[in-house]
Amino acid sequence: MISFRVDAHSVVPPYLQIVQQVRQALRMGLLDVGDQLPPVRGVVSATAINPNTVLKAYRDLERERLVEARAGHGTFVRRRPPGPPPGTHSRLGRSLARWVREAREAGLDDESIESLLHVTLRAAAEEETA
Amino acid sequence: MTPMEKVLGPVGPGPGGYGGSPGPIAVQTGGLTKHYGKVTALNDCTIAVPEGRISALIGPNGAGKTTLLRLLAGLARPTSGRVIVNGVTPHQDPAFLADIGYLAQEIPLYRRLTAEDHIRAGAHLNPRWDAESVRERLTGLKIPLNRPVGKLSGGQRAQVALAMILAKRPRLLLLDEPVAALDPLARKNFLGLLADGVAAGGLTVILSSHLVADLERVSDHLIMLAASRVQLCGDIDDLLAEHRILVGPRKDTTALERAHRVVQVTRTPRQTTLLVRLNGPVVDPAFQASEVSLEELVLGYMGEDAPPALANVTTVGEEQ
Amino acid sequence: MTWLVWRQHRIQFYVGAALLAAFAVIIVITGVQVADQFRSAQLACALHQGCRHLGGLFMGSHVVGFMVIATLGAPVLVGLFWGAPLVAAEAEAGTTQFAWMQSVTRRHWLAVKIGWMLLAAAIWGGVISVLVTWWSSPNNAEQLNQFNPGRFDIMDLVPVAYSLFAMALGIAAGALLRRVLPAMAVTLAGFIGVRVVVALWLRPHYLSAVTVFYKVTSGLNPPGAFWQIAQGVVGPNGQSLGQPNNTPYVDGVPITALPGSCAAVANSAGPANPSASCVQALSHYRAYLTYQPADRFWTFQGIETGIFLALAFVLVAVTAVALLRRDA
Repeated sequence: MISFRVDAHSVVPPYLQIVQQVRQALRMGLLDVGDQLPPVRGVVSATAINPNTVLKAYRDLERERLVEARAGHGTFVRRRPPGPPPGTHSRLGRSLARWVREAREAGLDDESIESLLHVTLRAAAEEETA
Repeated sequence: MTPMEKVLGPVGPGPGGYGGSPGPIAVQTGGLTKHYGKVTALNDCTIAVPEGRISALIGPNGAGKTTLLRLLAGLARPTSGRVIVNGVTPHQDPAFLADIGYLAQEIPLYRRLTAEDHIRAGAHLNPRWDAESVRERLTGLKIPLNRPVGKLSGGQRAQVALAMILAKRPRLLLLDEPVAALDPLARKNFLGLLADGVAAGGLTVILSSHLVADLERVSDHLIMLAASRVQLCGDIDDLLAEHRILVGPRKDTTALERAHRVVQVTRTPRQTTLLVRLNGPVVDPAFQASEVSLEELVLGYMGEDAPPALANVTTVGEEQ
Repeated sequence: MTWLVWRQHRIQFYVGAALLAAFAVIIVITGVQVADQFRSAQLACALHQGCRHLGGLFMGSHVVGFMVIATLGAPVLVGLFWGAPLVAAEAEAGTTQFAWMQSVTRRHWLAVKIGWMLLAAAIWGGVISVLVTWWSSPNNAEQLNQFNPGRFDIMDLVPVAYSLFAMALGIAAGALLRRVLPAMAVTLAGFIGVRVVVALWLRPHYLSAVTVFYKVTSGLNPPGAFWQIAQGVVGPNGQSLGQPNNTPYVDGVPITALPGSCAAVANSAGPANPSASCVQALSHYRAYLTYQPADRFWTFQGIETGIFLALAFVLVAVTAVALLRRDA
């Protein structure tokens, strides 16, 4: 069973962090179809977030038809999110390597590259929720 | 059902769900006022907390948080106005008292008695009492059960008091700065315990604190007091949806101020920032609206009744 | 709730029980000796066929006698050390917040605490009184002074009532002042004040005292342990004569008011044989004795007990109002 990490100081609201972590776990294979999501009470005592928050996340996932709630038993994975077609990872990896070379030639060090990446991801996340 | 469920009833959300539509109301006041002689501690407060909520009671010192909690617990009687807790006016009745748990800021425990003594006292004085849960929890935290409570550290005493109040299995918890004496890990641990209690069903919590960050993750309801009055009361999601931060150029904002309720205005030489409670859409194109965080919301309202020197209109950089 | 009262106050209980036990041991051991002393003195007297009473013999050691008198102060101790802190210590420490947020009502909490404390006070006063009364009975039989202030207060019923009063006073002071030391001060002052006022000003008037006039030359000795309130001499016009200090006097009449024939009586040390003219002059004067007869002893005990029980009841009511009507 996976466990959630909720960052209280992130701009991403807690319920969305949970939704994203479930989707990520599905993509990476940590969760498979038929697996049970952590029960609400367990999440709540481990992360000290409101039960509503977890429930809202699970309801969102249910709306996306990724999971289904079985009364009295818990919430179970129904299907994987639409994933990238095969070869996507390697193709994207190659274009990323090209970009990194370009950035290094422009004079960016590792730290600047990382922070640029974080900023871009965060902006993208905000766009997603808006 | 697990043995615990047999004792406590089926777990799961009550009729109101975990949130969403209000359902039954745990705590309700109308025009609640409390005077101590010439001092007004609470002025015309009207709040409602639905069952199953974890409500954060926030406000500066002296705003009336402790007074409100004491009135809800029945430890004080209102000067005027109505209080309804768990469906009745707070009064001296064992059934009512068994359903509420109040923890004062000063952590009242008998200093010469041990934790074990307190546990036994609780067993004698309460109809529902989960002694084992206290012993388990304190042993898990490595707090000795047989040392006089006065010889424990402040944080350990707080843990004893908190464990005792949960063991009572009340329907409503009223906690006055319960985590002030705890280190960050212990705080998260305790808030997790509270949230778990609510998730199990049949529990509503109102807790006051200064630490907005803690409250932000565990609460879904907010009561904000300042200068003895209620500034905000409602589900946090709703409150945040009703407020916006408007950022725009330094210009005349009278139209905006008439259209919406302005909570706080900050002017720099080139920019105006307003925290507003929306009354319809924002029509002024010069202003960009963004969502508000709980901390920004709380700070915005806390400044509202501050003394004139710290008024809600602040000018940075030049004379207005 | 009783469990909690016991757990909070068990040290106090042990201390009190130890003090009572120590006192009882001393009293019982010496009291047996006093009783023996009494019996042998009576036997010796009977053999000589000459004694109505043993001339006011005091039996027992004076140290123990002093302890017995000192039990005048015993009732106030429970008020000071058990009563005053009962509510005040909890108010100071804030622990009333703990107790009142368990599922017992404030009324139940108070009733159980006060109930046990009053019972303890009654036992304290009762045990001490039983011991003291028993130890004093030979001396009382001899000196017949048990109705007098100072002895009346340590025997029979009244110590129980005083203890209940002191306890109720301490509890009320603690509940009103909410601080232990001021409550103790008020308890001590209040107890002494009320006891003095009642003993000196009220007690003589529970029933109208009996006043008897008699000839100055004869004496008057009412039977049993009576309580002398006042005595004096009245002159031919009904005026009462003050107590003469430096002038010699005959049968209570100053020599200056009498003919010279009485001078011989005044100056002689032994039994006097006044002349006829002296007797004649003296017959114009009458002596009086105002007293409470001995058979009223138990009535007075009952009345004083009633007064202090009523006061205790009022104080308990005051405590209840102070705690149950106000905010916690």
